[in-house]
Amino acid sequence: MYLDLLHALPEVLSFTNFAAVIIGVIAGIVVGAMPGLSATMAISVLVPFTFGLEPLVALGLMAGIYNGAMYGGAIPAVLLRIPGTPAAVATTFDGYPMAQKGEGGFALQVAVVSSSIGGVASAFALMLLAPPLSKVTLLFGPSEVFWVAVFGLASIIFLLGGSAIKGLISACFGVFVSVIGSDPIFGTDRFTFGQLELLDGINIVILLVGLYALPPVIDLLEVPLKTDGVSSSKLGTEPLWRALPRMTRFWKTWIRSSIIGIWIGILPGAGGSMAAFISYNEARRASKTPDTWGKGEPEGVAAAETANNADTASALIPALTLGIPGTAVAAVMLGGLLIHGLQPGPMLFRDNPDIVFGFMWQFLFGAILLVLVGGSLATNSFARLLNLPRPLLGSVIIVLMLIGVYSIHSRMFDVYLMLGFGAIGYVMDKLNFPLPPVVLGLILGGFAEENLRLALRIGRGDWTILFANVTSLVLVALTVAVVVGPMIKRHFDKKREAGGEV
Amino acid sequence: MKEILAALTITGFAAAPAFAEFPDKPIKIVVGYSAGGGTDVIARTVAQFLEKELGDGASVIVKNIPGAGGQIGFTEVAKAAPDGYTLGTFNLPAALALTKDRSADYDVNSFTYLANFVEDSNTVVVSASSEFKTLEELLALAKKNPGAVTFGLSSLGGNDHFAANMLADASKADFTLVPFKGAAMARTALLGGHVAAGTMALSQTTSFKDEIRVLAVLSDERSPFRPDVPTAKELGYDVEMSSLRGIVGPAGMDADLTGKLRDVLNVVNKNPDFQKAMADQGNPMAFIAGDAFADLARKQDGVAQAIWDKSPWK
Repeated sequence: MYLDLLHALPEVLSFTNFAAVIIGVIAGIVVGAMPGLSATMAISVLVPFTFGLEPLVALGLMAGIYNGAMYGGAIPAVLLRIPGTPAAVATTFDGYPMAQKGEGGFALQVAVVSSSIGGVASAFALMLLAPPLSKVTLLFGPSEVFWVAVFGLASIIFLLGGSAIKGLISACFGVFVSVIGSDPIFGTDRFTFGQLELLDGINIVILLVGLYALPPVIDLLEVPLKTDGVSSSKLGTEPLWRALPRMTRFWKTWIRSSIIGIWIGILPGAGGSMAAFISYNEARRASKTPDTWGKGEPEGVAAAETANNADTASALIPALTLGIPGTAVAAVMLGGLLIHGLQPGPMLFRDNPDIVFGFMWQFLFGAILLVLVGGSLATNSFARLLNLPRPLLGSVIIVLMLIGVYSIHSRMFDVYLMLGFGAIGYVMDKLNFPLPPVVLGLILGGFAEENLRLALRIGRGDWTILFANVTSLVLVALTVAVVVGPMIKRHFDKKREAGGEV
Repeated sequence: MKEILAALTITGFAAAPAFAEFPDKPIKIVVGYSAGGGTDVIARTVAQFLEKELGDGASVIVKNIPGAGGQIGFTEVAKAAPDGYTLGTFNLPAALALTKDRSADYDVNSFTYLANFVEDSNTVVVSASSEFKTLEELLALAKKNPGAVTFGLSSLGGNDHFAANMLADASKADFTLVPFKGAAMARTALLGGHVAAGTMALSQTTSFKDEIRVLAVLSDERSPFRPDVPTAKELGYDVEMSSLRGIVGPAGMDADLTGKLRDVLNVVNKNPDFQKAMADQGNPMAFIAGDAFADLARKQDGVAQAIWDKSPWK
């Protein structure tokens, strides 16, 4: 198989196939940077056009877009507190405070380097370990996946510091939104009020754009004409080679976050946002100065961005070997493969090694190109967006939001829904309710429900099926640790304080 | 049977179509699912060849209107003007099963049935490492210990569900049905040993020849893709179920127009390049045109109704 890998290389390096990756990366960064447009959308628009293209050109474009968009999402997250893609939510935690401190340029450089490192690690995992890692996916049946979702939900409650009650309320709102639509087993309508548009549930992009993009835009417009501008010196932009030495101290975070991202990627359905959240949480727990997190700690940006790119190629492991996409983007990519007669499964690796392994190389090159293309593109052009007059910037973003949301299903219903979430988001923002738990509540709530019910059906109503094997028990232990750990730590901290006073 | 039908449609083709000017604007094929899905790929392949066969600068575009399990797209076609410029993909039995378990703005009579292209028969499968070597062994346990055999499906109210239901009826066995989100998830759970057995369309098994053991195929004759696998009928259980994908228009289309479209679709089907493209995508072909397609839809509607009446799934 490793021979096949080398055999596929020359074809990838041919001019058109390589150019496809470069064009894909650039397009991906642009799409990712626009609030409302996501990689999923860009690739679904692309898929019909790939009919007439050579397979590797089509796949190269997709690999490039995927890698580019995962970094592109960080640009508005850092500069405007608007995550360009769902996976960039965790990037706003420290990226935006950095930008406010005048370190926006450095934040973007950290993001691009981390994204690239995560992407390269993920591509290597895909190239070298796809068959063994697909065995790991098989270990995760409904009850195990249920525990993964619970673990994810539990860790976010303690992720944000601040008021745990408010965090919990936000998470519950997210879980409530996940309940809307037809139920995952019987298809019974829930809270749809007879609207067919609500039957499939609420698309995460609609919620994200409404909740995250509208409130900052309103903020932006509340203080109009205050165009103090952001000069490049204020952005803190310096050449990448000079910024690099300041990043080397993140090496532990890079390794940890890459592993987390790859692991989340091979689990069906969880996706980049969960990878970024968990990785951010773990990095903060490991940090010696957890108090600086959320106030502009570059390592936080590194953790989030490494993980959300580390799940790109690894999400293709279950997609290519088992036909189950780890993320929404991987699902669309499977369609792109199908158009060229490439059906996922073990036979794919035997029948079309040149294309499959070529695709993997393209992922690797896409990740490397990210630094070269993204580094200059982001700091030299996108960062200057902030120099635009505020009314202009605000209206451009609103137009992009409307176009993006409309184009998901080509219907106005979604746009109204998005505006509704925008109003909710604005109120939540003003009342200091954290927004990230809403996003994760929506993603993981539905995921937890579906898998819990499947597990109970398999167990014929017997709850012990949830604890029936080692994988489940390990996940239960991790969940307990993530909930109880901070409590015990707080308890001991208090004791130590009390002891000191005596 | 299918050959006779094909021969009949060819005879129809010999008579010169009256609608010489059709089409004078783009024809739209509505797909009720997202771009890149199995049905979408079929629609795009048909569109590409249809455009060529219509000739004279004709243009055929595919429009994806995903949502509500395809229902939004099917409704769009049913309500369109019957002028031949709005066609749609039609998935049986899914499209008609939807009309049983929720309110729908269409039924089996809302369409003009033009041509079916794909028939993907259901199979009964276990993992290659399973203790069950034959259908008989599997059914024996399901009879002896009702509910002990967990049976993975892609969803309730689709061909997988109907197949499991019909097999249970025919054999007096009792399965615990586990509806996953899609066939790939059901297949993965089967491979991981999380469910004991399952049913899925034959095309879902082809890329997993060494990993999945196909115990029986639910069609009236053995599949050319897997001639080694017996049919359920041979084993004594008269169960047939499949997933069909074809092209329909709204009801009330003019007879000449209907004839012309059926003829052109027939020519598309005859094209070896088309056959090759469809085979590369793993689609088992079964070209059924005109009235036979309409009869098939009515029969499927009856099956869905009967199952819904007997054991409603929600």
